Amino acid sequence: MKIQTPEDLDSVRKKGLKKLQPGRPRIGVGTSSCGIAVGGMALYNRMHEIIQTKNLDISLVKTGCIGFCKEEPIVSVSIPGKAQVLLRKVHLDDAERIISLALQGDVPSDRALCKISNWDHITGNLVYGNEFEIIPEYGEIPFFAYQKKVILRDSGLINPEDIDEYIGIGGYFAGYKALTSMEPDAIIDEMKRSGLRGRGGAGFPAGLKWEITKKAPGDEKFIVCNADEGDPGAYMNRNEMESDPHMLLEGMLIGAFAMGIHEGLIYIRAEYPLAIERLILALDQARTYGLLGQNIFNTGFDFDIRIATGAGAFVCGESTALAASIEGKTGRPRLRPPRLTEKGVFGRPTDLNNVETWCNVPVIIAKGASWYSSIGAKGNTGTKVFSLVGKVDNIGMVEVPLGTSLHSIIYDIGNGGALGKEVKAVQTGGPSGGCIPVRLFDTPVDFESLNQVGTMMGSGGLVVMDEDTNMVDIARYFINFASGESCGKCVPCREGLKHMLLILNRIIAGKGTHEDIDLIKELSETVQKTSLCGLGQTAPNPVLTTMQYFPEEYERLIIQRE
Amino acid sequence: MSLSGYRKRMVTITINKNQYLAEEGEIFLLTAMRLNIDIPHLCYEKALEPYGACRLCMVDVVTCGKTTMTPACTIKVHNGLEILTDTPQIIRHRSLLFELYLAEAPKSEVIREMAAKYGVTKTRFLKKIVHDDPLMGKCILCGLCIRVCNEIMGGKAINYINRGPYTTINTPFYEHNPDCLGCTACANVCPTNAIVFEDSDSNRVMQSWSGTTVPLATCSSCKTAFAPEKLMHKVMNKLDPAIIEEIKSLCPECRRHYSTRKATRKVPKS
Repeated sequence: MKIQTPEDLDSVRKKGLKKLQPGRPRIGVGTSSCGIAVGGMALYNRMHEIIQTKNLDISLVKTGCIGFCKEEPIVSVSIPGKAQVLLRKVHLDDAERIISLALQGDVPSDRALCKISNWDHITGNLVYGNEFEIIPEYGEIPFFAYQKKVILRDSGLINPEDIDEYIGIGGYFAGYKALTSMEPDAIIDEMKRSGLRGRGGAGFPAGLKWEITKKAPGDEKFIVCNADEGDPGAYMNRNEMESDPHMLLEGMLIGAFAMGIHEGLIYIRAEYPLAIERLILALDQARTYGLLGQNIFNTGFDFDIRIATGAGAFVCGESTALAASIEGKTGRPRLRPPRLTEKGVFGRPTDLNNVETWCNVPVIIAKGASWYSSIGAKGNTGTKVFSLVGKVDNIGMVEVPLGTSLHSIIYDIGNGGALGKEVKAVQTGGPSGGCIPVRLFDTPVDFESLNQVGTMMGSGGLVVMDEDTNMVDIARYFINFASGESCGKCVPCREGLKHMLLILNRIIAGKGTHEDIDLIKELSETVQKTSLCGLGQTAPNPVLTTMQYFPEEYERLIIQRE
Repeated sequence: MSLSGYRKRMVTITINKNQYLAEEGEIFLLTAMRLNIDIPHLCYEKALEPYGACRLCMVDVVTCGKTTMTPACTIKVHNGLEILTDTPQIIRHRSLLFELYLAEAPKSEVIREMAAKYGVTKTRFLKKIVHDDPLMGKCILCGLCIRVCNEIMGGKAINYINRGPYTTINTPFYEHNPDCLGCTACANVCPTNAIVFEDSDSNRVMQSWSGTTVPLATCSSCKTAFAPEKLMHKVMNKLDPAIIEEIKSLCPECRRHYSTRKATRKVPKS
């Protein structure tokens, strides 16, 4: 069935709602990569087997990740008329108990994490009901209380493998609105007024990029989604695609219409097999409903998306290397200009945006630019998803308005160091970022403030380090990563990083001298200033920031010898 | 006005505070070379697109009082362009890059001489030593050989292998590559003379390229080997079909004799 009229869309929405609130117990098992890693899929299979063999009146679905990775596998149980309850750290042996309690209209309260009485999907609202007094509300759990879910609005609650559920909570309505009642330029204008900045790390205004691509000469153009997330410790994009793939597709559909482009590509790293699987399924479902393909919503607009997989190179996240990789060439950056917006994939003007940037588009169109720009800070509007990992108590995916302080993220949401240890620093922006010491934790998380303290936003990994972490070793880890991922085209990155690694190895082995410290500083600056692409230009940041904020740790290794 | 459209617009540019006239749109590195303003470079070749890998030609572009370091091979001349080529910053970075080159290609005399010219005579970095290096410890991975082979000759015989600090250049799987034309354009364009080959009686052996052996064509007249067969074949296909068949198999020397004889014969009897 092709969705062409508002009535068609609404009938699917009703069908989707019926799946979300089926009038019988519904059990959702968190089966994102994080959930699967701790037994989510085995749990799902066990429950499936029980329900099948006993022929029980229960709806069992796979859901994405609600973000609280520490508590995975998370299972959601929703009993008609009662609050939806999230169960934490569910064991395989709990399967039977959860099912039998659900049939009686109850949940195992010893496993309960929190309950959700109603949920604002932004594009729609779901009311579940109350009861279960002893279980705390979702908003009472500190991990969730300080977050604002815009991009992760559906994650962990809907079935990512079922387009009906996405439409059920108002998905593709923004796409319908954009294609049928908005002028393409009005969409771009809305994007510009929203203040949305690229979520890939550099923070270029997304609406402006769309406008530049649209104005670039040429009839055949591409839009590309950069899903080559490769920073160590960052997995926001993976989760966004695994938990809510249609949000990305809808964002790209709206963008394509605004720019008048008919071909879309998702460049995704091969290391994300589940995300690829779910995207392929989502693409098929969207095509079946006519949301991709020809004459979308009967408007005469054609658009389709293909998937291009990477072959495991971090540097392919760089725009020109990414374009080369899609073309089947070695992923090596080339000189810019020309930028991708002028000469991109196969020489055609290309708009490249990060997964999360695309994911913001449907809500901006659905709720309007002024609603969106009211979130976050001036010049840094909206929310940003971070993966809070490392030696922090609450590990998970957190979404906060831009401008939130690091302190709030690490202590209010993350509950400080793991196992009661003192937090010492946090690394933002992966190998391109730097380590921020605890005394600078008042720094608001926005593009400019992070740059000022010598690091960057990056794609959004936050790696927490505690009192036991050796900061020189951290610097070596990131330089080792960057050196191994360097494409080898330009000298400062290929040779410079190699020698930085050799010097750091020497220092850590207790064989370093003060000359080594001076040399590595000097070399860092040259690598930053003379490298061809962003990888080399930012790779020395971890060394420079650890040297700036933790000089005593370097000094200690030197003094040992002298 | 001479032949219209052929004359480039001349514009005024400033280099190191001095004003010069330059052709609009020209690559700045070439402009500077013509004006005898010294900018070191290793990976630029006029016949190829700028590549920007050697980073030695970095200069400061001044815009609104602010400077940005950019490779000179990527700058196009435009009116009012202002460039600084020898600020302390540039000299410092350039010197360190030379140190990196000295460590990367310790056997290269070209690099040693070039570095010395800019005051760098030793390196503080560990020298790269590769045993039995087919590129003689001289390769700086500028990619000129690959680009000339792939983009100009169309041979596609060699390419980069591995990435990052493990990058090398050779034939696929380090095996004899039948795609090699034996043209030696790679060796001619190599800035550090790292590529070696040898001609025997009837073969050319590309020693740097895993011993790739290319048969040489023999002159039908004097019977000496003079050029790789495959290259001859490629060239002959591009020639005017009207060319005399007889001279196609002659070496340059014999071809000259042939032409002279023919010309003499044509001289009308007086």
